Amino acid sequence: MEKKELKWFIILIAIALVFNIITLTPLIPWQSWLLWNRPSPDKSFFITFENNEIILPEAELEIETGEYIEFAAVSKDVTYGLGIFRDNGTMVFQMQVLPARENKFIWKFEEPGYYTIRSTEYSGPKHSDMVIENAILVSEN
Amino acid sequence: MSGLGYQEKWTLRYAVVGLLFLALAGIEGILMRLQLVQPGILDNLERVISVIRPGSPEKTAAEQFYGMLTAHPIVGIYGFVYLSLMGVFYFLVPFLLKKDIRFKKLVPFNFFLQVFSVLLCWSAGFFTYFNSLYTLYWPLPVSFDRVPALGATIFSIGLVLIELNILIFAFNLFATVLSRPNPSRGYSYGRFLLEAFGIGKLIRFIRKDKSKPDPNYEELPVFIVAIGRGSVDTVINAIILLLAGIMVLIFSIPFLVTGLKLNTSIIDPLVYKNVFWWGLDMVADGNVLMYTAGTWYLLIPLLLNRKLYGESIVRTVILADLLVSMFVWSHHLLADQSQPVFLRVFSGQFVTWGEFITMGLTIFAVLMTVWQARPVKFTPPLKFVMGSIFGFVLGGAAGLIQANYGLNVILHNTQWVIGTHAHTLLLAGLTTLIFAVIYALVPILTKVDLPNSRMVNFHLWSWMAGSLGMSYVMGFAGIEGMLRRTLYYNGEYSVYMIIALISACLMAVSFLVFLINLIQKLRFINILRLFKPEISRNMNKPLYEAES
Repeated sequence: MEKKELKWFIILIAIALVFNIITLTPLIPWQSWLLWNRPSPDKSFFITFENNEIILPEAELEIETGEYIEFAAVSKDVTYGLGIFRDNGTMVFQMQVLPARENKFIWKFEEPGYYTIRSTEYSGPKHSDMVIENAILVSEN
Repeated sequence: MSGLGYQEKWTLRYAVVGLLFLALAGIEGILMRLQLVQPGILDNLERVISVIRPGSPEKTAAEQFYGMLTAHPIVGIYGFVYLSLMGVFYFLVPFLLKKDIRFKKLVPFNFFLQVFSVLLCWSAGFFTYFNSLYTLYWPLPVSFDRVPALGATIFSIGLVLIELNILIFAFNLFATVLSRPNPSRGYSYGRFLLEAFGIGKLIRFIRKDKSKPDPNYEELPVFIVAIGRGSVDTVINAIILLLAGIMVLIFSIPFLVTGLKLNTSIIDPLVYKNVFWWGLDMVADGNVLMYTAGTWYLLIPLLLNRKLYGESIVRTVILADLLVSMFVWSHHLLADQSQPVFLRVFSGQFVTWGEFITMGLTIFAVLMTVWQARPVKFTPPLKFVMGSIFGFVLGGAAGLIQANYGLNVILHNTQWVIGTHAHTLLLAGLTTLIFAVIYALVPILTKVDLPNSRMVNFHLWSWMAGSLGMSYVMGFAGIEGMLRRTLYYNGEYSVYMIIALISACLMAVSFLVFLINLIQKLRFINILRLFKPEISRNMNKPLYEAES
């Protein structure tokens, strides 16, 4: 390996290390509970996906800011996705919902307001209809 | 363009039909983009087309959209990309090795089978609205309450044929590379492969052995090494997708014939996803990158008349990338909570960064070769090669951002993935490279020059602007929460989609200008004559001696 190649190789390794270290730390806020702390949930919601429908345990899921919420989703037929979206359409988080598997995700909401649930994985032509607007109400703690 | 040899003619046939498939994939892309701007906009077109769909009742906008979305990648990847690459490799591999294709009759066989089977997959979407998408996530393709059983069967037969054809092509390629007219006694293929990947040199270095390498084993150009290495991934990918197609057929045929529903729960969806993405990533992260790198390694020294910078390191990088592509698949499963965290972080994130290292070294070698060749005359193929490097850098960087345990939470399945990453790589990176190959090979094959001109420059700049414009606007929509694989009914992201549509139309204009330039130079009648059946006198003539 020539000197120039070696220098470039070291630069590449350094970029890879810096990016990976930064993105694994709690500088990305949710890494603190997804990867490092693994807290026990304050509340759990069981959500069922079946026949292109999202079935919630309650008409409106009520949450307070700062609580650790566990979303446990099951699919009775094909693969779906559980996505939570803000009022302005941006995504808060999502996970895949596989049939015959336990699909659990913990999240801590920081902003009060209404949130929409939408299936984020294609599950047949009715996939686009799998939206429940204002399904979650997060209030200030 | 008269007096083309057998192989030259077949390479041009592959390229022409490949470009037709690119046009078809582009039309599908524009139609889907139109639907995302305004759902239902295609209803009138649909009514007209329904005339040629026997017994097909009118379908919903969603069924049209998802049917097209299922066919689109098959047409783009297996119709355009694979067909073009097959044609190019069938010319370049024997040309560079100065020997013939091992099984010449497989060249037309591969051509016809590829075209037929891609059209079969496409017809499943067009005629039956088969809509499970190319991922075939289990058990969706056999959930016949939402996808048509007939469509699943036709699509899967097409997929099985495509993959069988690719295996035959790879076999012919390996057979050509490894065939030796008079192998000496004791000639070892193992040692031959070690030297091809630069391992022999490494072993000699470690052992402090200063003897010179045996020239018997030092004969493979680095382009051939990269193509051979990429073809390992191609074979693995083809076997996995072949099995996926057979699996769907096992369920769809009994249902179609007798109405029997087999139990789909015998296949675990997570295991399926792991195997599928392990195999599919051999294309996405293995052979695409390696075939691309190989083509850079060939074109840059050829166009600049200069040896590739750091060739011995490049050979080892090619082998290292094989290990990377074997263990990289989990970045597609970062959103699957039942996938072990170790696999998501290690395979999904860390190993993916291995590609950053291997491709980083590859691009460095290529750019250093250009730098050391200054002053450089930017011929049409060289301009397009530089464009493709730029496309790969941008698309690769976007991929690294999404293949991240933390960031994937908000990027998975959004338009970021398919726009900023996949379409940047495929359109600005790979397709631009295929244009470079066409600009480089057409003069060699036909003796017709394709010099720098306003048309070439327009083609380059409008293609880059259109492909990057479309891909990045899709990515911005993804950051705003727009999902991939989703038809929106209320025009939620229509502003983004209008800009993406304008960019796609710019690409269409660019492609037309490219075709007009080619047709003007080669003459339309000559292109048509390519497809005239012949009893070639040149068929048995070695390619490298065939006169043009």
